Amino acid sequence: MIKFLIKGLLRDKSRSRLPIIVVAVGVMLTVWMHAYITGFMGDTIEMNARFSNGHVKVMTRAYAQNIDQLPNDLALLEANELLEDLRVAYPEIYWTARIQFGGLIDAPDDHGETKSQGPALGLGLDLLSADSPEIERLNLTKSLVRGRLPAKNGEVLISESFSQKLRVNPGDVVTLLGSTMGGSMAMYNFIVCGTISFGVEIMDKGTIIADIEDVRHALQMENAASEIIGFFGDNFYDDYLALKKAQSFNATYESDPDEYAPVMKALSQQGIMGAYVSMAKVWATYITMVFVFAMSLVLWNAGLLGGLRRYGEIGVRLAMGEEKGHVYRTMIYESIFIGIAGSIVGTSIGLFLAWLIQKYGIDISGMMQGASVMMPTTIRARITPVDFYIGFIPGLISTVTGTMLSGIGIYKRQTAKLFKELES
Amino acid sequence: MKNLTLITLALLAVLMVVEASAQDANEILRKVDRNMSSENRIMESSMTVRGKRSNRTIISKTWAEGTQKSFSEYLSPAAEKGTKMLKLEGQLWIYSPSTDRIIQISGHMLRQSVMGSDLSYEDMMDDRKLSDIYDAKVVGQENIDARNTWLLELTAKVADVPYHSQKIWIDIERFIPLKQELFAKSGQLLKRTEMSDVLLIQGRWFPTTVLYKDMLKQGGGTEFKITSIQFDQKIQDYIFTKAALKQ
Amino acid sequence: MKLAIRLAYRNLIGAGLRTWLNVVVLSFSFVAIIWMKGLMTGWDHQAKTDMKNWEIGGGQYWHKDYDPYDPLTLFDSHEPIPEAVKNEIAMGDMEPFLIVQGTIYPQGRMQSIMMKGVNPKQTLFKLPTHKLDTATEAIPAIIGMMMAKGSRLQVGDYVTMRWRDVNGTFDADEILITAIFSSSVPAAEAGQIYIDLAKLQSMMLLQGEATILTFRDNQKERPTLAGWTLRTHKDLTKAVDEMIKTKTMGQSIFYFVLLLLAMLAIFDTQVLSIFRRQKEIGTYIALGYTRQQVVGLFTVEGSMHAVLAALLSAAYGLPFLAWQAKVGWTMPLDTSQFGMAIAQTLYPVYSAGLVISTVLIVTITTAIVSYWPSRRIAKMNPTEALRGKLQ
Repeated sequence: MIKFLIKGLLRDKSRSRLPIIVVAVGVMLTVWMHAYITGFMGDTIEMNARFSNGHVKVMTRAYAQNIDQLPNDLALLEANELLEDLRVAYPEIYWTARIQFGGLIDAPDDHGETKSQGPALGLGLDLLSADSPEIERLNLTKSLVRGRLPAKNGEVLISESFSQKLRVNPGDVVTLLGSTMGGSMAMYNFIVCGTISFGVEIMDKGTIIADIEDVRHALQMENAASEIIGFFGDNFYDDYLALKKAQSFNATYESDPDEYAPVMKALSQQGIMGAYVSMAKVWATYITMVFVFAMSLVLWNAGLLGGLRRYGEIGVRLAMGEEKGHVYRTMIYESIFIGIAGSIVGTSIGLFLAWLIQKYGIDISGMMQGASVMMPTTIRARITPVDFYIGFIPGLISTVTGTMLSGIGIYKRQTAKLFKELES
Repeated sequence: MKNLTLITLALLAVLMVVEASAQDANEILRKVDRNMSSENRIMESSMTVRGKRSNRTIISKTWAEGTQKSFSEYLSPAAEKGTKMLKLEGQLWIYSPSTDRIIQISGHMLRQSVMGSDLSYEDMMDDRKLSDIYDAKVVGQENIDARNTWLLELTAKVADVPYHSQKIWIDIERFIPLKQELFAKSGQLLKRTEMSDVLLIQGRWFPTTVLYKDMLKQGGGTEFKITSIQFDQKIQDYIFTKAALKQ
Repeated sequence: MKLAIRLAYRNLIGAGLRTWLNVVVLSFSFVAIIWMKGLMTGWDHQAKTDMKNWEIGGGQYWHKDYDPYDPLTLFDSHEPIPEAVKNEIAMGDMEPFLIVQGTIYPQGRMQSIMMKGVNPKQTLFKLPTHKLDTATEAIPAIIGMMMAKGSRLQVGDYVTMRWRDVNGTFDADEILITAIFSSSVPAAEAGQIYIDLAKLQSMMLLQGEATILTFRDNQKERPTLAGWTLRTHKDLTKAVDEMIKTKTMGQSIFYFVLLLLAMLAIFDTQVLSIFRRQKEIGTYIALGYTRQQVVGLFTVEGSMHAVLAALLSAAYGLPFLAWQAKVGWTMPLDTSQFGMAIAQTLYPVYSAGLVISTVLIVTITTAIVSYWPSRRIAKMNPTEALRGKLQ
């Protein structure tokens, strides 16, 4: 029976080709759209993740409590060992240590005495190890205004407007006056190798960026780190996953009463990011709902039309003595096949298109002249497990419902009138 | 009736004593100032900062002349060794050997804490005599560590003082402070200082251990210990120059 | 042409259910496109609206030394409020802020903060400043949700605050948190404590002085004030404008896809009707219609879906959109972690341009999509068509 129906569908192209194409296009749009919304909504989150929050972040409990103060005296000790442990325990996450610090940058005059000073907000991260993804993560290459990126220890990037305020140029020496992890005064010389501008005022005021080893040296934080941040392999934040990782990590330290025991926080558990994450989630859900609803209407409509166009055929079948219920059922079976086939084809194409946009992105930098470097210039889609089944909602359910509704007409037709209908 | 007269007389006597001491209070303060400041001095000291996670001790040697000039060199720990500070008439320069830089700390930066301690640069720099900036009043006598003390209440008489009022306990015999409490304008206690290990050095009594405590903050405070002190030494002028920082 | 339209109209109405299905789908697209686009524009503008409501008003004058990113500038960045604006302040159309540094000690931890003095009777900001009038021994203060979270303070908490007056003399007092607000503007919340302006001025010995003057109306030409830098609304929202620009790019895709979706429905209908109505097509040609005229008839018929949809949309969409713009769209957020309710209500922003362009684009695209399958008619053999033979 099923074989027979499929054969019928395959041989009669008018019964299968167009409906499948319509369903497939609809499903493709749904799948692609969902992946796109997910990626698009995640943009702001990713930006925050890259610059400060990570997808997950490990710090000491005491540091986490006072994180607004950048309390480096509460930093993680034996950071390299912890980093190794994390890499072994969570190999799917890219882990890296960072140090955020405050201080004063002092530029000398010809006699080595103070020429100018200004408060700085520093970031120490892995800049020098080969193929460190941090440079790309912070988009440093594009942010460079003058000079070059640090190539060896002792070099620092400072923000362009800060360099103008201090009247220093690439090649000049500046001194960081800060506080060591132990609370002592720290003084450390850096050579300015380049200036950067992110186009966002808060980042362009007093930012300095140096290799983490230099910062450790400067602040006497050997083998320490204020935070170890982790990024999921595909550079996309998955709240559920992040919360789960954080929970499992924290469970292992649950019985440890030490104030300096490490604690892992998912991005949504840090500061106001939780609000952003839930907002993005709610938004993506709403847009998807509106979209799936609209798509369902279209495919339901298509299913209905598909039923109506076969008016004549059904008439013949009824005239030949086929039972109404049987005709109705076969129509539904057919629509199930069409729905499944269309959904599979559509989902495949939709996923492929989404994958293309996930991998290559839509470059909008041309339209974004003069905008800040922190803003994403590429819009990327994002494939999540939902994309593998969401297309079936309009693709299968709506198509079948449409056919069911249009098929009701079968029961209304009277055999006596059939022949008259067929004659015309 | 007889009792009442007695009480009145006693009250009057007490009042008269207090009145007399009020007049003396500023004199007491001047004596304290004389005792605590000297023409010049050379001292070695250790400062222990009781941190949340660990304690740190910094040993330094200081040359000072009058109240306006002072020069310190850090002797240990290794990371701090060779760091020098020069204070001249309200200005402060810091030299660190690792950077070979002289950095001037000025303006509002002076309000930052020194080496993570409970003291700010400004606390260290404020070298005006107590009697110059405060009006004193004796409010009683108390016993501290088995020593009789005058309890003085100081109220600022100039505007630009960090602490609007102080309570200070002065050893009655030796005219040195044993305890000091610093108050905000609102009367809130901000800092407490306790002096101990009073020694007779070159004919003058001097407390060699001072414990500073920021009362609003958690933590064990900062302990300042003088290991050796010499008064009225000959100090060469070049010490109080920026050139000396780099040597 | 007139005949074509009349004929098309009759055909459409005659088709009944089928036509209305398409019209409903199309009109849904109309409304959904306009609503979603409006909502997204609204969301983007929300950031600006929030800034206006909580932080910058219609623009500000900053004291010439004031730099929000350099706390050391706060010691010097205050000046008597200029005479020229006193009238405006009295009218309530300008509000001065005095901003100074302070330290609070929640549970013995030390935390640097900015104290912002604000007029408790102000109406320029949404800040719950009336709570600064609370009668209490301590200093009544309001803080933002971010600050509350960071320092773990709650309404009703007392905390010691220490500051130095203009002479550098230390002072300290208890503050009482009388309200916590949620503004979604980090710059109005992070590390800040709002207290009564007059109280702060007297605490600091800075009677009549201010750091920032915020004015209500951002359209008015502003005079320059000596010693103050004018920061217009536009300067202050530059970063948000850039963000909106990025977002708009990304959103045009939604627009496009919703359009595609509507077209899919029309396309399907057209293909079907041409398939089913071959006899009719044959009849038209037999009656003397040229092929082009028949193609025209079908195109007009298809496009008319859009016109009907526009009418239908107007019937239920306009009231819906207007109602939405008025009450906004409240997003239920998972707020358990914040310990307080934060409702994010978005107000969609529609422009006439948005509505007109949506109607035009949908209609034109419908016409194209209707025309496309109709081209087949031109290739039909009329006699075959008349006989209803499949081609």
